Amino acid sequence: MVYKCNKRVYVLLLIVLSPLLSLAQQRITGRVFNSTDHAPVKNATVSIKNAVQGTTTNDQGEFSIAAGKGQTLVISSVGYLTEEIIVGAASLLNIELKSVEDNLNAVVVVGYGTQKKVNLTGSVATLNMRDKENTPVTNVSQALHGVSGLWVNQAGSKPGQDVANIRIRGVGTLNNNDPLVLVDGIEYNLNEIDPNFIESISVLKDAAAAIYGSRGANGVILITTKTGKKQKPEINYSYSYGIQKATYLPDVVWDPILYMQMKDQALINEGKAPGAVDYSPAQIDEYKNGMATDPYIYPNINWFDQVLKNGMLQQHSLRLSGGSDKVVYNIGLGYMDQDGILIAANHANRYTLNVNVQANVTDKLKVGANIIGNYRTYTEPPFGAPSATNYYFTRLMRVLPIFTPYTADGRYGSSVFTTPGRNTIENPIMLLKEGSNEHRTERTLAKVFAEYTLPFNLVYNVNFAVDKEDGFAKWFVPYVVTYNPKTGVPNNYNIIPASNNYDANNLNLTLYQTLNWTKTIADKHRVSVIAGQSYNRYDVNNFQAHIEGYFDNTLTDLNAGSVNPAVSGSSTRDVLLSYFGRLNYSFDDKYLLEGIVRADGSSRFAPGRRWGSFPSLSAGWRIDREDFFHSGTISLLKLRASWGKLGNQAVPLYSYLNTVNLGYDYTFNNAVVPGAAVAKYNDPTITWEKTTTWNGGVDIGLWNGKLNASLDVFQKRTSDILRTVAIPQQVGGLSGPAKNVGSVDNKGYEIALGYQDAVGKFKYAVNAQVSYVKNKVINLNGETIIGTRRITKEGYPIDAYYVYQAEGIYQDQQEIDNSAHLSNAVKPGYLKYADLNKDGKITGDDRIITGSSIPKYNYGFSFNFSYEGLTLNAVFQGVQGISLYPTANLASPFNNGAGVTKNWVTDSWTPDNPNAKLPVLTTTTGATENFQPSTFWLKDGSYLRLKDLQLKYDLPAKWLQRVTAKKISVFVNANNILTISKFKDFDPEKDITGDTYYEYPTLKTYSFGANVTF
Amino acid sequence: MLVFLSILTICGCSKNELDTQPLDRYTEETYWTTEKNATAGLTGCYAALRNAGVYGGNATVLWEDAATPNAYDYGNSNGFSLIALGTQTADNAGTGTIDAGIISTRWRDCYAGIGRCNTFLAKVDPVPMDDALKTRMKAEAKFLRGLYYSLLEMYYGGVPLILDAPDLQSQGQLPRNSRAEVVQQVLKDLEDAAAVLPTKYGSADKGRATKGAALAVKARVLLFEASPLNNTTNDVNKWKVAAAAAKVVIDSATAFGYGLFPNYRSLFLPANENSQESVFDVEFKIPELGNSFDLIDRQYNTNAPLRDLIDAYNMKDGLPPAQSPLYDATKPYDNRDPRMYQTIVYPGDTYIGAVTTATSPFKITGYGVKKYSIYDKEANSNLINQGFKSETNYMVIRYADVLLMYAEAQNEAQGPDASVYNALNLIRQRAGLNPYLVPAGLSQSQMRDFIRHERRIELALEGFYYLDIRRWKTAEQVMNVTIYNSQNQAILTRSFNRDRDYWWPIPQTQRDVNPNLDQNPNY
Repeated sequence: MVYKCNKRVYVLLLIVLSPLLSLAQQRITGRVFNSTDHAPVKNATVSIKNAVQGTTTNDQGEFSIAAGKGQTLVISSVGYLTEEIIVGAASLLNIELKSVEDNLNAVVVVGYGTQKKVNLTGSVATLNMRDKENTPVTNVSQALHGVSGLWVNQAGSKPGQDVANIRIRGVGTLNNNDPLVLVDGIEYNLNEIDPNFIESISVLKDAAAAIYGSRGANGVILITTKTGKKQKPEINYSYSYGIQKATYLPDVVWDPILYMQMKDQALINEGKAPGAVDYSPAQIDEYKNGMATDPYIYPNINWFDQVLKNGMLQQHSLRLSGGSDKVVYNIGLGYMDQDGILIAANHANRYTLNVNVQANVTDKLKVGANIIGNYRTYTEPPFGAPSATNYYFTRLMRVLPIFTPYTADGRYGSSVFTTPGRNTIENPIMLLKEGSNEHRTERTLAKVFAEYTLPFNLVYNVNFAVDKEDGFAKWFVPYVVTYNPKTGVPNNYNIIPASNNYDANNLNLTLYQTLNWTKTIADKHRVSVIAGQSYNRYDVNNFQAHIEGYFDNTLTDLNAGSVNPAVSGSSTRDVLLSYFGRLNYSFDDKYLLEGIVRADGSSRFAPGRRWGSFPSLSAGWRIDREDFFHSGTISLLKLRASWGKLGNQAVPLYSYLNTVNLGYDYTFNNAVVPGAAVAKYNDPTITWEKTTTWNGGVDIGLWNGKLNASLDVFQKRTSDILRTVAIPQQVGGLSGPAKNVGSVDNKGYEIALGYQDAVGKFKYAVNAQVSYVKNKVINLNGETIIGTRRITKEGYPIDAYYVYQAEGIYQDQQEIDNSAHLSNAVKPGYLKYADLNKDGKITGDDRIITGSSIPKYNYGFSFNFSYEGLTLNAVFQGVQGISLYPTANLASPFNNGAGVTKNWVTDSWTPDNPNAKLPVLTTTTGATENFQPSTFWLKDGSYLRLKDLQLKYDLPAKWLQRVTAKKISVFVNANNILTISKFKDFDPEKDITGDTYYEYPTLKTYSFGANVTF
Repeated sequence: MLVFLSILTICGCSKNELDTQPLDRYTEETYWTTEKNATAGLTGCYAALRNAGVYGGNATVLWEDAATPNAYDYGNSNGFSLIALGTQTADNAGTGTIDAGIISTRWRDCYAGIGRCNTFLAKVDPVPMDDALKTRMKAEAKFLRGLYYSLLEMYYGGVPLILDAPDLQSQGQLPRNSRAEVVQQVLKDLEDAAAVLPTKYGSADKGRATKGAALAVKARVLLFEASPLNNTTNDVNKWKVAAAAAKVVIDSATAFGYGLFPNYRSLFLPANENSQESVFDVEFKIPELGNSFDLIDRQYNTNAPLRDLIDAYNMKDGLPPAQSPLYDATKPYDNRDPRMYQTIVYPGDTYIGAVTTATSPFKITGYGVKKYSIYDKEANSNLINQGFKSETNYMVIRYADVLLMYAEAQNEAQGPDASVYNALNLIRQRAGLNPYLVPAGLSQSQMRDFIRHERRIELALEGFYYLDIRRWKTAEQVMNVTIYNSQNQAILTRSFNRDRDYWWPIPQTQRDVNPNLDQNPNY
């Protein structure tokens, strides 16, 4: 402290005195630090351009040099981009050095250890979270958009539930495709950590994941949290505030008169008699006249405007870190507050505590602890739990323009006219404002570790972690009634108020220990061996309680209910026991070899089929280090190759057991009697899925790291895939078993390019990556899995679409009579399907396999420009070669009493508009012939999006002195503001297999904030 | 070092560590060991009755009349409107459209029931338990298996006949057996069951299959065999067999405790469940195991009666409107067969305390349904508006049906003898017609028409008429029509392809996974 004060005085003196010292040569002092973590850069060279003077920085990164105004200071250090600064009035400089992205010392987390990036033999993508700093990322999964080889799909931005789906190198299985996620070496959940506390993320994409054996087949995401550094205490605080809006919403016909006329026309078009339409001419006239005088009975509104508003997002993050030779520490506090775009029932909060401490107890013993405490809450509408938000959107997508929000006396309105199919008027405002649905999840990951150096350079490391999750949800389904705005007649929406509690109580234990031995022999042979053992136990417990019989909507506790109590719950245990080892050998850093083996035993399989072993081998060749290779230009040239076998055990528990399940109850004498039945046909012989992966790659660095490129070519073959297969229902109507049914290939390549340079004070960096993956089912044992509109079949990608081939629109009856047609209800203006097998009928045999549920290309590119303290960063991201199949409410017209979108006004077929884009206007329910799965409704879901645009200003050093801050940045962000896609009815980044618009919309965010370091 | 040791300890017990067992279900190997478990297994066989493809779901049985001239479903619930339009296909039965559809769910759910019965019958023998009870329970399972197979053969024709516990390898690719083979097995199961089942149960077991139930379902199966659809040569012997089967039940009515319930309206109310008229019913109970009858009848109106059904109701003197002096065209709903008022809500009727009109509250056709609903003229604030909140049992077979089956078969077998008149008069007397006696001296053909009409009225909107118009082969006439609402406005035109629509298609999803399943003609 004394030192600090002294320095402050010194600094102050300098500031005060500097105007007096206006000599030709002034004494310039400063401090050079690393832009990544603000650590001081020692031994950096500080020289004056075109002059001989020079100095180097001390251990604190400080320097002092005499220089004249107008001269240029050149600051350089190995692994950093060189900085040039023109000497001005300021005599005290804070200089930030940007590390060269692929600098030679960069270390990458690879699972049970780290490796130098240049020595990697596998394919590992890394993300430095500094690149995402200050962006409005609410879930760490969103930060992975644009990482090479990853398909990140965030279906909607539900506050509190906005984790993205991540697929690494395609879709390898028909089963669970989620990658394994580890935080500081412990399996954990992406939802339960504040992105602000993450230092870096490594993604193991190939055989390198074999160290995680049976959980590695879908790739492994290794998250490393921020830790303290040997430095003076540092406080970092950041804040951002954003406004959010939906990117896309269906373009609905809100004009009530037009809506009613279209509905009637649709019914007539599909064969209904004019007298039997939904709205009589008299009713339409009544509405038309009424609109002018009574907005309560005859509203003319945009319902989306009634239930949507601007969302708000704010995040605070406070971090204290520092350390000495003995102890380093890091304490972080995070807070997120998000209020979504619905007027109610979509609020999320997250409170995070992150503590890291490490102590060198003796020279040989190091111990540490790491605690991540995450508490998050979010609200949802009360109806339709557990997926209440999606349920709400099924209701909102059904709202009709003639629905009344509120009656004249302020009660919830229904609708002046009855609409067939719409018996229960789900007033969308009411569904948000009444009742409650709160979720609270508290999750703590506590890890302790010790590392002891044994004789012979052996290092023993033991880690024990407890991951405890307490999830609680409570939803009260209220008593709600709507009233006819004209007659006041009530319409019961729900007259049985009920309360529900759900509690999840999960505990995951991880214990792993490793022995590590590293030795360098004759200065050239480097050997590193790790052997380890691990134990994972997952206990999942939950229960749910339900009760009815509430007086009103005020008391909502379970205790306030009185009738029809019901409970359910379960508890399961799942154990994984493993042994693993890794050997790394390198000769002169030129020839690199790595071998991994892991043996896993899992309780998910029958005895005798529990153990599997997963080996991998990889090698690298640093050509640039060869004597024969001399190039001033090429600073890195490395060839890599890897092979490995990985596993996947993610089948539901007890899939191997044939079980008799309870719950098939029946009533005798008006009393419920418990019943039991076999529900599922199980296969006791199931075992691991195995993924064999090959990877070949080349890494190139040019001009001392200014240009970096890498290319990877890979093939992944997953065999013995576990999937529930459909079996003929004649076999007891049972659902099919999970079976090891076949194999799937993913082949592809990844290219990543980065270039960074500076022109004077203007610095720029451009990065681009593209990955291609071709998915193909190789073998399904001759079986074919056919769903409603998808198929998984040998020779085709997983979940390809299986639909009729639409051949346009029938123009007249004669054309219908002359071709095979689906049914005798087909009329002119209906869709025509190809009779591919020429049997004169349109049957299931006429379907074709087309389209894809997996994008062929994932790509991204980014630009970073900076000039002095000003930085502009733009990140683009896109997918190409994916299909979407939107159906049901608002995706097809008048579905089951729902409304219609505007394209049907102008683009539907009529005899006068024979070349229309859409068939004749009908209801979906009444003209099923037009809404059979067909190529007509299959849409291209490719898109390119400006994911993030950030303008940041780092306040100049001289201003910082006055507030004794090391660094202050202010920034503005725009997220998801521009999307280019042929698909315009909804955000194309949607739930791929959901096939509806029943999703919380994807949001765009405009935010601003500040980031301060003291 | 201590840590190291503790870890070694964990490794030591690793073998046991990987043995985890489910705590919410039994493993099949050890399940069939106690009487209690066997009883629960049999309950599971009954539970399939509540599936949507059988007699459960929301209101499958009420929607079935929407595939007949009795009713109209604007919402295509369970796909019955597609069947009414004659636009059902093997695909829209199961894939792609809004609703999974009865054509796919009936197949699935009947086989679910069959599979559970087969499992029960295969596994129960070694279970240590009371032998008499075991024998009875096996008879119950056979009854249920016969009932499930009868539904399959009556709608799809021949289906794979599987009598062993579910086994994918041996059963998955079996082709369809002939309908005759299936019928033969159904009759065998029902006879086996009838030989063992009690005529009555103690109160705790009310709802289980009885001897009478097995015999009555057998009569229904035989009547279907004797009917024109399946008896193309009009083999009188088939009618005789059918008549005899129904007569067994009628002759034992006293012994079995069967009779007509005095009040037609309240027969369909929860208070009178398991009455003397109920031969076999599907039991519902709220809140756990309800149906949606009240919701469908009152609110959804997806079984909206059609003008055609209203016109079918005679006047209360038993004469058709055109012949009766009681008919007044300005008051068309006055003085009709009392069963109409107990079945249907019509414009001008009072319903839940309010007078109805042609568009309110029943906008679809102007008519609503009272039968199987608790709602009637009286005001009621408990307006059920959620699914599965009603508990009225559904009568799969009731004594009036047995009487009508007998009358029909006997008239075909022997002509309109006194026993035919007696059976009909009982029903018409209970209905409150005045005079209720069937006019004397009807020819066999006149009696046939009379019985068919009586059947339509007595069983209106209970889900039997679709089967009737198919087995009579009259669907090709009565379904190729335009349907009308209460104001005689056309709603739409239906069609029925006589070469195709008498049988349902085999769902495409099933032919996808079992290519050995042949399709029915012209699908």
